[in-house]
Amino acid sequence: MKLDVYERLMAAQINRRNMLKGAASAGAIAAGASTGLGGLMGSAFAQSSLRAEMLNIPGVGVGSPTDSDWQKVGALTLEATKKNVAEGEFADVELTFLGLNNQNLHNFLFRGFLKPWEAYTGAKINWIDLAQADYNARLQQSIATSTVDFDIIEMGAPFEGDVLGKGLASEMPEWVREQIDMDDYVDYLKAPVGTWGGKTYRVSIDGDCHNFNYRTDYFADADLAAAWAAEGNEGPWEVPNTWQKVQAVTKFLKGKKIGRFDTNGYLDPLKGWGGFGFYFLGSRATAYAKHPDDADWLFDAETMKPRVNNPAWVRAIQDVLDVLDAQPADQLNADPGTTGFQQFLAGTGSMLSWWGDIGSNAKTSDSSVVGDDVAFSILPGSDDVYNAKTGQWDTLASGPNYAPNMAYIGWGIYVMARVDSDAKKQKAAWSAAAHVGGKDISLWTAAYPSGFQPYRTSHFNIPEWVGSGYDEGFISNYLASQLDSYNHPNAAIEPRIPGIFQYYSVAEDELAKIYAARSDAQEGADRIAAAWDKITDQIGRESQIELYKASLGN
Amino acid sequence: MAGPGQSEGDQLHTVVSDYMSPRRILAGRALLWFAAAVLFVTAVIQALYTWDRIAFGFENWRPVLYAFIFWGTALCVAQVLVRGEQGKRVLFVLPAVLFVVSMVVFPILFGLYISFTDWNLASPTGPKFNGLDNFRQMSGDPFYWNALKNMVYYVLAVSVEYAIAFGLALLLNAQVRARKFFRVAFLLPLMLSPVAVSWMVGKSMLEVRFGPLANLARFLGWENPSFFSSPEIARLSIMVMDAWTFIPFMMVMILAGLQALPKEVLEAAKIDGAKPWQGFWQVTFPLMLPVSITAIVIRIIFKLKLADIIINVTSGGPGGATDSVTSFIFREYRDRSNVGYGTLLAMIYLVLIIIFVTSLLKVASRWTRQFNQEGAG
Amino acid sequence: MSEQTAQIFVDTDVDIRFRAKWYTGRVLIYGALISWAIVSLFPIYWTVTTSFKLAPDVMQGSLIPWVDFQPRWRGWRSLGLSPATIFETSTVRDEFLKRFMNSVIISLSASTLAVMLGSLAAYGLSRFSYRFGFMKNKDISFFFLSQLILPPVALALPFLVLYKELDLLDSRIGIILLYTLMVLPLVIWIMRDQFRAIPVELEEAALVDGLSIWGAFVQIVMPIALPGMVAAFIIALVLSWNEYFFAALLTSTDAKTLPVMVASQTGSQGINWWSMAALSGAAIAPLVIIGIVLERYIIKGMAAGAGK
Repeated sequence: MKLDVYERLMAAQINRRNMLKGAASAGAIAAGASTGLGGLMGSAFAQSSLRAEMLNIPGVGVGSPTDSDWQKVGALTLEATKKNVAEGEFADVELTFLGLNNQNLHNFLFRGFLKPWEAYTGAKINWIDLAQADYNARLQQSIATSTVDFDIIEMGAPFEGDVLGKGLASEMPEWVREQIDMDDYVDYLKAPVGTWGGKTYRVSIDGDCHNFNYRTDYFADADLAAAWAAEGNEGPWEVPNTWQKVQAVTKFLKGKKIGRFDTNGYLDPLKGWGGFGFYFLGSRATAYAKHPDDADWLFDAETMKPRVNNPAWVRAIQDVLDVLDAQPADQLNADPGTTGFQQFLAGTGSMLSWWGDIGSNAKTSDSSVVGDDVAFSILPGSDDVYNAKTGQWDTLASGPNYAPNMAYIGWGIYVMARVDSDAKKQKAAWSAAAHVGGKDISLWTAAYPSGFQPYRTSHFNIPEWVGSGYDEGFISNYLASQLDSYNHPNAAIEPRIPGIFQYYSVAEDELAKIYAARSDAQEGADRIAAAWDKITDQIGRESQIELYKASLGN
Repeated sequence: MAGPGQSEGDQLHTVVSDYMSPRRILAGRALLWFAAAVLFVTAVIQALYTWDRIAFGFENWRPVLYAFIFWGTALCVAQVLVRGEQGKRVLFVLPAVLFVVSMVVFPILFGLYISFTDWNLASPTGPKFNGLDNFRQMSGDPFYWNALKNMVYYVLAVSVEYAIAFGLALLLNAQVRARKFFRVAFLLPLMLSPVAVSWMVGKSMLEVRFGPLANLARFLGWENPSFFSSPEIARLSIMVMDAWTFIPFMMVMILAGLQALPKEVLEAAKIDGAKPWQGFWQVTFPLMLPVSITAIVIRIIFKLKLADIIINVTSGGPGGATDSVTSFIFREYRDRSNVGYGTLLAMIYLVLIIIFVTSLLKVASRWTRQFNQEGAG
Repeated sequence: MSEQTAQIFVDTDVDIRFRAKWYTGRVLIYGALISWAIVSLFPIYWTVTTSFKLAPDVMQGSLIPWVDFQPRWRGWRSLGLSPATIFETSTVRDEFLKRFMNSVIISLSASTLAVMLGSLAAYGLSRFSYRFGFMKNKDISFFFLSQLILPPVALALPFLVLYKELDLLDSRIGIILLYTLMVLPLVIWIMRDQFRAIPVELEEAALVDGLSIWGAFVQIVMPIALPGMVAAFIIALVLSWNEYFFAALLTSTDAKTLPVMVASQTGSQGINWWSMAALSGAAIAPLVIIGIVLERYIIKGMAAGAGK
């Protein structure tokens, strides 16, 4: 990502951009507004009554939304579809939708959202629900044995190499681009993400990055502050902004109490999660490994040589090992789902890297007990950063090096190429995708437990959130941590190459071994690198390099 | 396909003078040949079509399946037509044999082929034959050997399960009130799906903060209970959960055996003045050996396939301490799409299991014979 | 056992000591029985009660409804099965019911098919000696048994390819055939013991009376072996109801089953224990009911075979 892009997106300008766009794409907004006064909505800050109404389903603080809420939201946001599709236009069309069957999320939502769409258009959708753990395997098997049995797929950008790279997806028609207002996407989700060979394939429904979640009550606690000073620690008792400080605070918090509860510091998920666990080591490592002058941080793009065993990554692994004893009991069996939802949201631990779900669940989920004591920032930085080209640790003049981890790059909806032979079916599939990825609906998914994060510039409109019952301070802080990550000039964006989750999965196994045996970080990292080289050779090094470059938009 | 051999081995002797008219035999043979021809022609057409040698064919292989079913039916009918009474006997086993053979032959052959290829599903080139490379990789794969080692522990745990199951069966066989209630209660864990068990027991009840078992452990004085942190305890937790679901299975088999024991023998032993303990070792236990062996062997076979709970609860962790072979292959296969290597591992494992189970059966039968002889002597 | 002996003796010192011993024995027996009943039943109790909890109740590890916590319908609401939602349109409930029906149809059909094929084969193997090529009865039996051993992973991809070519992917028939294959060995094993325990003389008498061997099998042997067949059927039912791996692999929309839904209740957003518990509860309920109703057949059925 280039610096000028970042500058263009500086906060003040975001507002102006919004206003300009508000005028330019008034149609899109009007489509969503039940009053039909879109043309008059010059300012993006003017709340459409529809968006406000939608955000009050079911309302913040009344627990998790249920199926009837999803159906209501789906019905409210149908206006955009009505512009492009006549009632009953897709009668007799049957579509198959493959998505995740995450508890009360993903496909559960889509079913509710699309129920009114089905009723209006006359199409019927069949559902393939996959457990997150089965998802990658099922997709790979379908592709490898040419049993693609779905028309629409919910897919993460890391799989684009597997699907788009093999020409299996249908190119997005122009009218969809307009209906969903693609210009509204935050910057890092714009091309090349979602595109392949210059063509656009993806309706984004999610923006992903790891941000840093912490407990405000810990860092406001006078007793802890006194103990911190008494133990002769450097600096005031405050939220750490570098990994070096995170380490110190985590070690310090072992064996302390806050109120009558035991304290814990940073929570590391030590158990694999079908490949997704590797992102959490990534979040610790990016500040060390992602040099502002170098786009690569996981592989060398030219050779696909893994960097996972370079000093930066080894230091991150060593960091985890150093605070193993400060983790809660049974942490070796804690996967990221556990650290996020059963530990952090349930009151255990004080610092955590996670996707934005923590913030959107903190106040709206049934399982959260920490709603009022959470705050957010971008991932911690590091005082020094490894320069892979020189092999030196650099200390930047600008201060600590920050490199937010854009883990997973978000979910999107893709339409498979197999619908292209039937014009009606193709339109139906894209219409369904556009409905789910619509501008208004996405505000709701960003605000409520859905598995999806804010990903459009229009999501960062604080008054809308406040109107739906959010505390202004809380939501500004949360959204800032997201936006600052998305727009960060030194963001670490993972390669969209085939089989990326194989690399993660094998790394998870080795990491679990290192953590359990507390063995040498360098040796373990070398084993991961060797396994990665083997996978690269197996899939084909030349083609991997080629696809890596293609994914970078070169 | 040769028919039944000497009928001397039969348990059930039938004396039927069975005259088969030549026309009947001819009709039977004709039917069989016709069906075989249909099957052959359909298969050849479809094969040629699939390989683009000819322009016409079916959309998929389903018609060949129908032709196969027709052939199978014809084979069964022909047995009776051609062989008469002998054919009717064959008819008992033939459908099952045909069914199993037709279901597994292709998958096993294809599986064998896959296991000698380098096939990563993400690779654009598809499977590549690589001879014994997978085999070589296996011999140097610490994860696989570690998993095999764990399997030894898991299988050894069967002996404890057996002892508990036997004890429970004895309890249920005793004169107790509410026996029906206890029998149902003891049986229920068997009914539950391993997936649900992993979640509700493995993750919820063993949850360290609020799980009732963790609370119980704290109450009993274990200060910081954690069920999956150290390798030994984690393996033990997995064993206990697996045992919990499968003890009822062994218990039912043993209980059934106990109830079928001839009462006279037990009474005789009692009159001889044998103490209950002696009576058990000298009479009940030997009599129960055949049932016990069946129960243990079936249990071991299920144990060798142990995976669901591990996949859901620990993913093999911490550091591979709870990995079973199946759960490891599952990860290699599912998370890494490395189907060539994964399938080879599974095939090798299959061979190991067959060798193990065959020798187990051999040893067991020899042991039973010896034990019974000693008992008699 | 001992109580019968107790009656023989009349009021001696020995008797008193004996009675004391007898009482201790009783206490031990019932103690063991009750503890194991708790071990067996508590997880089910936990599942059912959790489905009525809210987050704070779960976090506090509450145990007893109305005492420790106030039961709520939250878990069942997420399935569309609570009193408030039962009459509303619910996409979740539709999905659940569809899978539930598939599970019912698939497991019943597979178990029936397996018991039919398996009983016939087991009867044949217990009565006649066969020779298919080099294979004799023992080898045929082992051949069937070896199917039980096959690790599913080895067959996963081949089955995917095979089913694709046969157009059996995502069809109930395909899954039924596969589950039949999976439970057949166990059925044959159980039924072989059953038939062995039935005296051959019965059929010989029937044959003398002019029945054919098939007639004797259907009219004489089958009624006797019925409890055993029920036992085999139930075990087949349990295994095919709970099967997860192939269901996840080979089905997508039309034939999908319940365990896949249970397994995927986890996902990226932590676990809503109440929904998880409600779904698990709904998934295990049918088998629990079958266990309660048909329990006596299981033991009776297996007992008939075990006597040999």
